[in-house]
Amino acid sequence: MGGDSKYVGLWYVAPYVIGLALFIAFPFLASFYLSFTDYDLLSKPEYVGLDNYKKLFTRDRTFDKSLKVTLIYVFTTVPLKLVFALFIAVVLNYRLKAINLFRTAYYVPSILGGSVAIAVLWRYIFADTGLVNMAIIALGGEGINWFGDPENALFTITLLRCWQFGSAMVIFLAALQSVDKSLYEAAAIDGAGPWQIFRSITLPLITPVIFFNLIMQTVQAFQEFNGPYIITQGGPLKSTYLLPLYIYDEAFKSFDMGYASAIAWVLFAIIMVLTLIAFWSSKKWVYYAGDKRS
Amino acid sequence: MKKTFIAMALAGTALSGSAQAADLRMSWWGGDSRHAATQEALKVCGEKHGHTIQPEFTGWSGHFEKVATQIAGKTEADIMQINWPWLPIFSKNGDGFADLYELSDTIDLSNWTEDQLAAGTRNGKLNGLPLSTTGRIFVFNKTMYDKAGLELPQTWDDLKAAGPVFAEKLGEEYYPFEGIGLDASLIMQAYVTQKTGTPFIDPTTNEVTWSKEDIVDGITFYQSLVDNHVIQPWGDVAAAGNIALHENPKWSRGEIAGTLQWDSTYFKISDPLAEGMELDYVGMLSQDGEKTEGIYRKASMVFSISANTDEPEAAAQIVNCMLNEPEGIAAMGTARGVPASAAALSQLSEADAFQPMQLKAQEQVLNATGPAISPFMEDQDVRGAIEDSLELFAYGEISAEEAAEEMLYGIQEFLDDL
Repeated sequence: MGGDSKYVGLWYVAPYVIGLALFIAFPFLASFYLSFTDYDLLSKPEYVGLDNYKKLFTRDRTFDKSLKVTLIYVFTTVPLKLVFALFIAVVLNYRLKAINLFRTAYYVPSILGGSVAIAVLWRYIFADTGLVNMAIIALGGEGINWFGDPENALFTITLLRCWQFGSAMVIFLAALQSVDKSLYEAAAIDGAGPWQIFRSITLPLITPVIFFNLIMQTVQAFQEFNGPYIITQGGPLKSTYLLPLYIYDEAFKSFDMGYASAIAWVLFAIIMVLTLIAFWSSKKWVYYAGDKRS
Repeated sequence: MKKTFIAMALAGTALSGSAQAADLRMSWWGGDSRHAATQEALKVCGEKHGHTIQPEFTGWSGHFEKVATQIAGKTEADIMQINWPWLPIFSKNGDGFADLYELSDTIDLSNWTEDQLAAGTRNGKLNGLPLSTTGRIFVFNKTMYDKAGLELPQTWDDLKAAGPVFAEKLGEEYYPFEGIGLDASLIMQAYVTQKTGTPFIDPTTNEVTWSKEDIVDGITFYQSLVDNHVIQPWGDVAAAGNIALHENPKWSRGEIAGTLQWDSTYFKISDPLAEGMELDYVGMLSQDGEKTEGIYRKASMVFSISANTDEPEAAAQIVNCMLNEPEGIAAMGTARGVPASAAALSQLSEADAFQPMQLKAQEQVLNATGPAISPFMEDQDVRGAIEDSLELFAYGEISAEEAAEEMLYGIQEFLDDL
């Protein structure tokens, strides 16, 4: 390579690096600074020290409620979704007729799932006069108040997210297909049943992928916005008022970008701590083939 | 010869002034009919004055956030349709938008009354030109009331009496009225304003005028409407999800037969009704001993010009054309209700452009009595304080007294921050 060509690589990565700096790094750092300010978007930010954080932790009942709802949502949605995605992946790992059609069909909701249109559709399906209640009534049951009852509303949002299991499923499927077949044959010769094989061979070997999906789905769940925004607007009684909705309302409806930034950073801290805990615990349950520690 | 040509070209450029062939942007929210009418008006006015105007339109939902983000980034459109309660948010001291008094050579302000211009003025600067005056008045599904064998209510007592009749004659799923969220808040406010003669927040002093007892009275009255089968319980309405009245099939089918609505929404709420159903406006319901009719009335929306525009003169020409010049008025039609501009009102009246029901509703709004309202009543924090407390009360989580205390606390906290 010529003298100048040593910089060619830098040119190639420049678009990404510039984009990262402008659209991720700068807003990220700016929001940290703004979390210590009183900033209404229209006038200059005014430094207020830790006031936003003090208010958040001492006298903001909406934050307490929203944090509680968010944690319930994450801790129910993520395990449900992972179990369901793994179950479907195991089924689709069998050599069935028209298997590619099934794989595509199960993946489609993931492509559509995050969209506003699907959230609107969900609203109609679970409305008091919607498809689900019509089916329940047709079967002789009594219609359920899915959105108007605070006990049920979060569950319907959880279901929407679980329905979007396709991307996790595809990753599980790839992991299942990479498991060495000779291990299954050896287990079968030793007389192991399907459940035993799954528990003692399949599951340990795909733990790195379970771990990956766990982290990704947790981060995504903490950022859920479209579903509750479109379907319930966070109600009733703020039972679906997840933290991203609260951040949005504070920033763009109450014009308190400083406070919204503080909430966003608390949310970031929670995600980071949970991720670190997951990484720490992974030493005890994630198996990496070839890793000497294993 | 060459020098002469250059000199002529330069002179031509210098003489052209700031309003020559400008590229402008205009943003607004609305429905399909408003989008079509406004685009046509921009085309007509653009051609007349030699400007091109790029339209930027959306539905109501999210428009506030869009404008807020644009203004914060100084990328807002040159001409904007702004909701009246947003003026103090975007223009605390009057500098948030261009001062239209400074453009009065281009915009004929004589078409508005002093009161109308005052509604769009912040700190002595005319930040927005009112497009129409709107108010919340009672409108009922006359067809359903006829089926129930009832006259349209004129008093709160009439309305209360209609609940059991609807349940008995039409069925348990039929209600003579509706109201949760903002609508519940406005029902309560109308009732208490009639009793006290004052608005919740005094717009001149920014102080709360109601006592805790006044608010408890209003909340208790709201509950009496629910208990009398006048209004469907909050939780049952929420069962349909986050859905507007005009999108609610129960409204279309007549299962909900009344609402306290902006008069300017006539087409929005009448279009979805099942065939053969008719709406009728009755103005404000009354109560014994009321001090005022208690109407919630305001400038519906205003046209503002960006404080950051490079082409204020050109933008002013387009605004004037749409609101005051025959071509623009004809194109705009009644897409924003009965216009506030005298020139537009006169031209459209002569052209029989209004539906009789539109005019009836507008007349009721303009004739009803009521104290001036504070634009802060539509601020997110004030609305949240009232509606969240009402919701907690409606779900039985807190008492009427606690709800009143919550409202007062939340609103006072907001006012203290001003």
